Amino acid sequence: MVVVAVVGLQIGFAARGYWADHKEFAFHMFPESSTWSAEIVRVTADGHRVPIEQQWSGYRWDELVQDRGLSSPSIRHHADAGLDNQLAFLGAALDWVAENTPRDAETRYLEATVTSWHNDDPPEVEVMRSGEREGAG
Amino acid sequence: MSALARFDDLLGRAVSMRALALLRVLAGLVVLLHLQPFLADAADGQTYRDAFYEPYAAWYPELPEAVYIGLLWLAAAAAVAMALGLLTRVATATTFAIVAYNVFLSTTHFHNNRAYLIIVLGLLTLAPCGRELSLDSWIRRRRGRPALDTSAPAWPLWLLRFECAAIYGASGLSKLVDPDWFGGTVTWQRVVRAREDLEAWPLPDWAISVLTDSGFHVGAAKVIVFTELFIALGLWWRGTRYAAVWVAVVFHVTIETSAAVQVFSLLGIAVLVVWAVPSTRDRVLRIDPTSARHRRWGTAVGALDWLARFRVEPASPGSRLELTDRDGTVLRGAPAVAFALSRLPVTAWFALPALLLPPVRRARRAGRAMMPAPMATDER
Repeated sequence: MVVVAVVGLQIGFAARGYWADHKEFAFHMFPESSTWSAEIVRVTADGHRVPIEQQWSGYRWDELVQDRGLSSPSIRHHADAGLDNQLAFLGAALDWVAENTPRDAETRYLEATVTSWHNDDPPEVEVMRSGEREGAG
Repeated sequence: MSALARFDDLLGRAVSMRALALLRVLAGLVVLLHLQPFLADAADGQTYRDAFYEPYAAWYPELPEAVYIGLLWLAAAAAVAMALGLLTRVATATTFAIVAYNVFLSTTHFHNNRAYLIIVLGLLTLAPCGRELSLDSWIRRRRGRPALDTSAPAWPLWLLRFECAAIYGASGLSKLVDPDWFGGTVTWQRVVRAREDLEAWPLPDWAISVLTDSGFHVGAAKVIVFTELFIALGLWWRGTRYAAVWVAVVFHVTIETSAAVQVFSLLGIAVLVVWAVPSTRDRVLRIDPTSARHRRWGTAVGALDWLARFRVEPASPGSRLELTDRDGTVLRGAPAVAFALSRLPVTAWFALPALLLPPVRRARRAGRAMMPAPMATDER
């Protein structure tokens, strides 16, 4: 029973890796040579767009976001576990920063303009936003 | 007997747990390496909660910081106990539980090498792998209690073998079906973007030129994909198993030197021990006790025989060093030494190619011809 369950789960996880952003137990190693970079700004209540490279309310982006190659998003990086995985992490990081910076009373949301290169394809640009922060402004 | 009954029999058959005991020791050390960055952060007063993380589920329990850090240290202590074989079952289960808990705390904690580590620890928890190579067995002996049976149903071993092969298979297959990977684009782009790093290596210009040429990667990518698939499939057959293990070691060393993969290389190589035939002391090395050289070989084999594959027995004075394989093949002299070294975990990778040398091959053929009668060749 245990053997059948483990084998079944492993095959299922390996198959799930073909469509899931996070490919847990799928073991699709070094899947892409894709790269990405992002210009991330804080959009304030009065409409200003402030790059996250500038400290705000005592926060620094590279202290808030240290993992998964996200600490310096303006530099073009390799998407280690694939582009979908990397952008899923970026989206989650935007939300996390928006929700975990209580001293910041001016930011409405964070916005990332992401340029991505899937393997050797031409670049694609997309805009990602965090959720709206309550009480800004 | 039906195929299902044979399969069931295979899983339930009692086999030696020696390979899993050795893997337990090695995995305990790998866990310490895995925990090191978490513990280093904790020592600096940092945990995952101080920066971006993403829980898998809102209901997943998160502990107060002090308790979390204490748990990490408990995992480190359990890993040491697991490696030493002290309260082995509890230590292994504790290590598994905390390592898995920690990895599942955040999507950002998840990496392939950690997934593999969780699988290995989980399966070691299910196997009675503390009855040898352990302080538990030593304490038992000291107390004059009889040793516990070191064999057990084979299914945890088969599951570990399946997982080991699945990792290479899943990786190879995902590259095989991806036109960019199989066509060479992915590796070519990676190398081109890392050209500066490449130029820092002591490589001649022509080598850098070749490595950054797209045409080279059309072939190289296929070699990588088929290498992974060869390892995944080759491990299952007796005729290709040693070659697959040898290639797997090269594969891991190559990855380690070219990419940051945390504990994947060490773990990947350590798990290869599960492909040893699960029976012990079924090869005999006969040494002349009056010969210092023979005694040294006997000592070396005894010390490095972590999979307990040999019995070292005395031979009559003046006789040549002799090795009898489990199928009855008899080797003497240098071929016997080469063969013995090829069956020891630490020296196997270096010695296996020696078995392809014509004198060794001739000796093995001649040794088989000297077999007295058909003997068991159980090479599961």
